[in-house]
Amino acid sequence: MTILRNLRFALNSAWQSFWRNLAVSLAAVVSITLILILAGVNLLVGHAFSQVLDGFRDKVSVMSINVADDTPLTSVYAFQQQLQGDPRVATVRFVTKEEALAEFVRDPNNAVLSQQIQGNPLDAKLEVRVRSLNDVAAIDSMARQWPGVDPTDPTNYQGEFVTRMLQLSQWLGFAGIGLMAILVIVSVVIVMNTIRTAVYHRRKEIEVMKLVGATEWFVRGPFVLEGIMTGVIAAAIALSLLVISYPPAVSRFSADITFIPLTYDPTFISSLARDLLAGGALLGALGSYIGVRRFVRL
Amino acid sequence: MLVGPSRLELSELSGRLSYTARDLAQRARRRLTSQQKTQLMVLTPDFTARPVISFQHVWKRYPTGTEALRDVNLVVPEGDFVFLVGPSGAGKSTLVRLLIREEKPTKGKIFVEGVELGRMKRRQLPFYRRKVGLVFQDFKLLPNLTIYENVAFALRVHGQPDAFIRTRVAEALDTVGLSGKELTYPANLSGGEQQRVAIARALVHAPSMIIADEPTGNLDPATAWEIMQLFMRINARGATVVMATHNREIVDLLRRRVVAIDAGQIARDDRSGRYHDDSSKSQIRAQ
Repeated sequence: MTILRNLRFALNSAWQSFWRNLAVSLAAVVSITLILILAGVNLLVGHAFSQVLDGFRDKVSVMSINVADDTPLTSVYAFQQQLQGDPRVATVRFVTKEEALAEFVRDPNNAVLSQQIQGNPLDAKLEVRVRSLNDVAAIDSMARQWPGVDPTDPTNYQGEFVTRMLQLSQWLGFAGIGLMAILVIVSVVIVMNTIRTAVYHRRKEIEVMKLVGATEWFVRGPFVLEGIMTGVIAAAIALSLLVISYPPAVSRFSADITFIPLTYDPTFISSLARDLLAGGALLGALGSYIGVRRFVRL
Repeated sequence: MLVGPSRLELSELSGRLSYTARDLAQRARRRLTSQQKTQLMVLTPDFTARPVISFQHVWKRYPTGTEALRDVNLVVPEGDFVFLVGPSGAGKSTLVRLLIREEKPTKGKIFVEGVELGRMKRRQLPFYRRKVGLVFQDFKLLPNLTIYENVAFALRVHGQPDAFIRTRVAEALDTVGLSGKELTYPANLSGGEQQRVAIARALVHAPSMIIADEPTGNLDPATAWEIMQLFMRINARGATVVMATHNREIVDLLRRRVVAIDAGQIARDDRSGRYHDDSSKSQIRAQ
């Protein structure tokens, strides 16, 4: 009961204080909103990139092992069995020479080339889908040691591309974390100064509170709540702006740059909302706690 | 020349004081409901507790190097009324600040109700302050709160329920004679009335001890006298009162215990003293 009453008191005075220093409060809300928009864009871009990367990953985790023409079918099946038993392999599909040719001809990019083909120059192949990209190289060296492999053109996979992409995503992750760290520091400082202004306006009240026996948390509570309020209001504004502009931005982007398969992902909105609101509240609480700490010590 | 009331008025006053105390007890017994009775009982200090202030060889040196108190020894028994007198800068305010634990002594010990203030944890400090009522020269009222809210503030800070706050604030405002002014703001009151509000706020949580730092410093003599009557009444109910003051007339008239401080030391401690050292009788020099 006492806790509820104290909470009500803190909420009341936080609300009053927010409105009494409206100019400062609004300035803080606007700054934090901008920062959270930046953070939100950062999250969205990160998410889009991982979406795209997942698409690529899906493609590059397939490698084909070309089978020499004179290999007996039993040997191919035996090797297929061996691959399927390997824990690193997800699926193995055997593609005969005929099927390979049919697939080749079906591709419109090969229209001219398929006109000039005589007979069937293509190898039969084993299409291996690997569970983890890191294992592609190991499976590749295993395949090269298999006697049935076509010695002139043993395997096909985009190994170089894979490692490049992995590196890129790692660097982008680091950059995102760095940017986030800077944004966190800036917003904490902004909230801190806003709360210092509120503390200054209410220094008399704080003095009386201490003299009549308020606990430190009782004095601190309203300011921390005011900080959280600032953060959450800013987060709500930032979130609604982002949610409104996310679908048109995606459609514009995918219209302009068609080779990157970017799509609108409505499921990400809820996790974005959770992150932004929690982040805003946390930033507000942290900033105001630091801002008020020195002034409430008994 | 005497500005305050004459000796005759003083005896009248003491008569009225005892009447007031008796009257309160009778009201509690006869006319009020049982619920109101218990609340009134709570407002009068708990006589089973023994608030005793004890300074033992207390030294205070500020970081600036000023030696504010030098080897102060002082014992205040329960229910006592003590005037702290002395020139500005003698150490009265330091003594008060030590008493409410705004400062810690550099050397020596201060006990209040058996608890050593210097060793009290910061966590416990708010609960110590709740046992004490504080009154200041500059009232320290909050200008944006009504009289009611100013007095209620002390109880809100303790997390008390609204119904409890309502009855307590009404009683406290009644005690200081400001019933009916609940919705006024401090700026619309005279200095004397503002100090009454501050006293109501100091009383509302029924402290066993009132500490006042120059409570009449900003008031004219007549108003100062009214405020003093209030303090006497509070003391008559059993609360210990420690008051730092410059008001010579009042100290000389009331003839209560006077502790004179000079250059950080207790220069004189009279059971029923005057503001200035009058001749040689009943003097206790501090060593």
